Formats: sequence, C-alpha cells, structure tokens
Amino acid sequence: MSDFAGMEELLQDFLQEASDLLSDVDNKLVDLEKMPDDHGLLNEIFRGFHTVKGGAGFLNATELVTLCHLTENLFDKLRNGELELTANLMDVIMAATKGVREMFGELGQGVQPQPADPHVINALRAALEGESPEIPAAPVAPQAVETAPASDEPDWNALHSAVTGKEAEPVTQGELITKLEAEVPPALGEISVSPQPAAVAPTGRRASDQPSSQAAAGRRADERGRENTIRVDTSRLDQVLNLSGEIGLTKNRLTSLRVDILAGKNDSETLQALDQAVSQLDLLVSDLQNSVMKTRMQPIGRLFQKYPRIARDLARQLGKDVELVLAGEETEVDKTMIEDLADPLIHLIRNAVDHGVEMPAERQASGKPVKSLVRLEARQEGDHIVLIIADDGKGMSAERIRAKAVEKGLVSEEEANMLDERQSLNLIFLPGFSTMAQVSAVSGRGVGMDVVKTNIHKLNGSIEIRSEPGKGSVFIISLPLTLAILPVLLVLLGDQPFALPLSMVREILPIDQSRIQEVGGKETLVVRGEVLPVISLASMLGWPLERYPEYGVFMQTTERSFILGVDSFAGRDDAVIKSLEDFRPKGVAGVTTLSNGQIVLILDMKELLADLGQHADMRAGLRALELV
Amino acid sequence: MAADPKMRFLVVDDFSTMRRIVRNLLKELGFTNVDEAEDGAIALQKLQNGGFEFVVTDWNMPNMDGLTLLQSIRATPSLKHLPVLMITAEAKKENIIAAAQAGASGYIVKPFTAGTLSEKLNKIFEKMGQA
Repeated sequence: MSDFAGMEELLQDFLQEASDLLSDVDNKLVDLEKMPDDHGLLNEIFRGFHTVKGGAGFLNATELVTLCHLTENLFDKLRNGELELTANLMDVIMAATKGVREMFGELGQGVQPQPADPHVINALRAALEGESPEIPAAPVAPQAVETAPASDEPDWNALHSAVTGKEAEPVTQGELITKLEAEVPPALGEISVSPQPAAVAPTGRRASDQPSSQAAAGRRADERGRENTIRVDTSRLDQVLNLSGEIGLTKNRLTSLRVDILAGKNDSETLQALDQAVSQLDLLVSDLQNSVMKTRMQPIGRLFQKYPRIARDLARQLGKDVELVLAGEETEVDKTMIEDLADPLIHLIRNAVDHGVEMPAERQASGKPVKSLVRLEARQEGDHIVLIIADDGKGMSAERIRAKAVEKGLVSEEEANMLDERQSLNLIFLPGFSTMAQVSAVSGRGVGMDVVKTNIHKLNGSIEIRSEPGKGSVFIISLPLTLAILPVLLVLLGDQPFALPLSMVREILPIDQSRIQEVGGKETLVVRGEVLPVISLASMLGWPLERYPEYGVFMQTTERSFILGVDSFAGRDDAVIKSLEDFRPKGVAGVTTLSNGQIVLILDMKELLADLGQHADMRAGLRALELV
Repeated sequence: MAADPKMRFLVVDDFSTMRRIVRNLLKELGFTNVDEAEDGAIALQKLQNGGFEFVVTDWNMPNMDGLTLLQSIRATPSLKHLPVLMITAEAKKENIIAAAQAGASGYIVKPFTAGTLSEKLNKIFEKMGQA
C-alpha cells in the first residue's frame, strides 16, 4: 500500500528534482565550511530547503516540512547575521540534511516519513533560540517536543485592504481563525493553517504516525532500487522520434518494392531502388541506435555531487582535513554504468581519505600543506570514459604491499619477489587484502578493493594504480562508452568465428613463424622493438593446435599486451550483446548474431587470460606475459 | 465574472515539480493555456513579449525573486494591469504586507488545493470585473 495513491507521478518528479537539489545543498554546505560568511551560499542553501519544504507540503509530508522549515529558519538567521556558523551548528545542519535524505528514502518507498530524530529537531530549535546546539551521540527514547507557540495566519484581504486603504474591516482574532479554518480544505489537515509548520511537530506520536515496518525498512533500505526513471533532454527524444519516423517511411518503400519483386519485377531500376532503400535503412538504424544510446547517457556529475559530502564527513570523523575536488562532471556516461559505478567510487574515495591521506600533523612534518586534496575526475578519451581518483597522500609502498600479501598468505614469498612495482600495487585487488594493520571502521575491512575491481570488470572496464611514495596515489578507471553496442573484430579459428572487443585490438599482423623467438620457454614476437608474448587463441580456449596461427592480433589491455594467434579474419561488426542469462561459460562475455544469422561468442579476453594464468603453470605464464 | 478558459497564464517557479503542480491545478480548474518560466528574469522577458493575462509566481527564486518580478510588472506600463498571484511557503505578516504594497492581486500559501486556488482566482476575477 502506498501513502501516495494517485500522486505517484508527482512523488517521482519531486523525489528526482528534490534529490538533485539536496545533493547540491550538500556540496554547498561543504563549501560553506570553507567560506562561512558567503552570503550567496547561505542564500542558496536557504532556498534549497525552502523549495523542498514547498514541494513536500503538496505531498502532505508534514515531517519533512517540519524538518526543512526549521533548517530553513536557521539559514534565514545565518544570512541575516543573527546567528553565527559554529562547528557545532554545522554538525546540526549536516544531521538535518541527512534526516531530509532519509525521508526522501522513505518517500521513495511510498510511505510518509517518520518524524525526524527528536535530537536533531531539538538541536535545531535550540540553535534557533541562540543556544549552543548539541546532538547527543547515544540515541535515547523519543521524547515529547515542545510545541512552538502558534501564531495566526494574517488575513490577506484584511491586510491588503489595510495597506491599500480600501474597505478595511475589523476582524477579531476569533473570527479570523474560524474563517481560516473554514478556508482550509480538510484533506490538508492542520499543517496548512499553521504559519509555522513547526507548530505541528509531533508531541508524542499520533495514530497515523505509527511507523509501519515498511517505513522502518525504508530508512535502511538501499536507495538504489528506485532509480527507475530517467531524465532525457527533449531534443534527444525528438531525434529518436524523427529517426523512427524515417525508418517507417523506408520500411514502406521496402514493402512496396517487395510487392513489385514478388510480382516478378526485377529490372535494374527496381533493384537499384531496393539497394538504395536498404542502404538508407542501414544508415537510419545505426543513427537510431546511436540516438537511443544517447538517451541513456547522463552527466556523471549527478553521481559525483554526492561525494564531497561523504569525503567531508569521513575526514571530519578521522580528524583529517580533506577537500574533494571534482572535474569533468559534464562527462556523459550510460545510466546503468553510473549506477554500477556508485559503490566502487565511494569505496575508492573512502580509501583515499582513510588510507591515502595522512593526518594533519604528519603532513606538516613532511612539509606538505595541512589540507589534502583528493581529485575525482571524469573525461572521455576516444570511445572510452576515464575516471581518475587521485590523492596527494603518502602513496603506496610496493615493498610493504608485497610483505603484507605474503603475510596474509595471498602469494608466496618467491612469487612476491618476482613482482615489479606495478604488479605489487595490483596485489591490493586480491580478495582478503588490507594494508591497514588495524581494521578501521571505515574502509579497512579488506573486502573492498577486490569488489571494486570485480565491479569495474563487469562493466568491461579496467582499473590501474599509480603511486609515488610521499606524493600520493592515483586510481585510473577506464570504461567503454556504452554497454549496449560493442564494436568487435571477428576472427576465425578454423571455420568458427569468435568476436573480440575491438577496443582491445591495436593492430593485426601476419605471423612469420621464422621470427618467433623463445624467451623463458614461451613464444614471443618482436614488434617494433617491443617483445610481445604470442598466445594462440586455440590454446586459450583449450582447443588442439591444428596448425600454426597465420595472423596475430596485437591485443592491449591496461595490464598487459600480447599477440593473439588466430587463423584468419571475418571482419568487424557492431555487436549487440545478448547475455546468456543463467548460463555463462568462463571467458564468454555474451553472444551476438551475424548478418547471416550465425551466432557468435564474444570472448572475454581478461577472463581467458586470467584462466590461462591459473590453470597453466601460473608462474611461467606470468613470467612470459610480464617479461615485456 | 466568469473567467475565460482560454486565459493565458504564466506560472513562475524555479522548482519544476512545483510548476507542474500549479499547472495541474490550473488544468483542474479548466485553464489549459499555461506557459512556464524558471525565474523572475525569464518571466519578465516572456511577459514583455506579450500575450499573457495572468501571472502566478513563487516568491523565492534565484536571479529575480517573485517580489522583484511583481515590482517590475507594476513599473512597466504595458504590464502594470496584469493580475499577479503570489505563491509562497510563508504566511508571515511582513511578507504579506510587502506583497500587498508591491501591488499583488492575491496571495496563496503552500500547500494549497485546486479549491483554494479557485477561490483566490475568483476573488481576483471579481475585483477585475469591478474595476
């Protein structure tokens, strides 16, 4: 049961717009801490709460109205100079903002929000009274909140007349209230007669306030579930509409040509018309695919804007001084990808703040500015999106990471000694790795980085670490533009075609068997001075090697480069990936259909490579791959 | 005076959800000729291009707030007779006096229903009929 029957659309609109607004407010709050006297910021934050309050009123979300109203009043006093922004007050404001977000979560579940934490409400009221507000850390039983004295809503007509000097009628207070009550539609309840929505703050719990189990769940529930709608620029939708219209016209043309052809008409003019229509359809369909893809593209800023607040809260909790700097917020990324990136990015940011950045004293001692910068940046590079999370902290020591991995039994000492700098850093992606000697409450659970890597991998992306001890660490995530269409290279093994993601293909070269050199027991090929291992696709798939591969595909991932040996090529294609639902063999990313109707497997190179490293002689494999 | 259902409204609010709410309420009352503006500055530009017969505006907006919009309307000879209904979340006396002094035709406090809106509109139509 929803509390918002008949209002679902309004609720959705409200939540989407108000959530954006709140994220914006969150960021402004972080800015405000740096510039507590900035009048513009105070004004904008005030307006944010004011706007949310106004919308919430129409949803009858009285608890949300109350919370926003109190916070708004606080900002009114701040901007008028009646109050000063103290660290305590900032905590109260942050708590109130958090409360508002939690209420959005409940609204998202279709239930009216429960009253805000009485401590937050009390602290807000105390602050409004000019007292030093405090939020007790330990939660205690909700207590009755003092009701603010209700004042009367001034009567518009009376005031208007008074001011304009026309038909001024004396109205007694009693009459005024009766009149007002009569004016108020019953559905809106008491809130609308009150000039101060705060006046109806709960004095205990009304029957209607009994929290349903659903509401309670809503507080904790993952908010991600509700993002079922998307905002699309109308011009992009118009383009989709326009293209589908044109495709319709071309289809009509083809239908009429089919009638002609079936009737035996096959003169050159008809065939030429057919050729034209098909080419046109081809063009239109690829345009349509692009346009539809674009409707799914969202600026990544919508995701980014949540992070400065998270970084700030965490830094404060740890006693660090950190600023999260955003760049490239306008970069557009597929909506699904944005959702799936949320968790990994949070983890990386937390990691940077928790592990990357030093304590202020330590920074001062090493001659660094006390405030540390964590940079979160997005940009498009060709057909890839690159995300960068960089900190100016203490960096990572390859040696310490190796020692840790050995201590945890993740690798043997022998293996560890063979790893170079980059490979050592990559050890942090192993399940069960955590560099902190003590597990911190924030990010030291040791379950994070491997999950980050797995999640990025699921998006056909890759993650890379660069670190300089004393200077900081950089995590670089590279992602494809979209998950819907994958440009592939079709290679042949015997008669069997396989699809390789084109993004990994650098070039194609014939393999001259006489130029193959054996290094460390593995075959390699020198390409323009670079020694690359040669791995045949057949051996990768576990097929018998019937003949020596004639062609090599120069494959490049962020981790390694190698030559993939194949028999021949069938061309390139824009594959529409179909997943294999429940059945997913290792090393197969999905399937696609060729123009002749044949089904082709799309290979997951990284998985195949990992597999190769595992079941073959791992160390030898690593050596061969990494020798380069 | 019966209001003309073709009357052209301009709804001014920076929160698009709120514009939609007002638009829907007006639709419920039979007014479908509605345009929207995101703030006072945009509204004023639209109004100056002509064709509008009624303004419903929020108070608190970036760039140009509702009160400044109202003052600008009253100060523009071609617009000064336009009825302007102010919407606000506050029912503070100072606000109402400020709105009245600036020449607002009516004042409505959020949240409101189609019924309340209709009542306020009718009062304004009545006054316009008398004038």
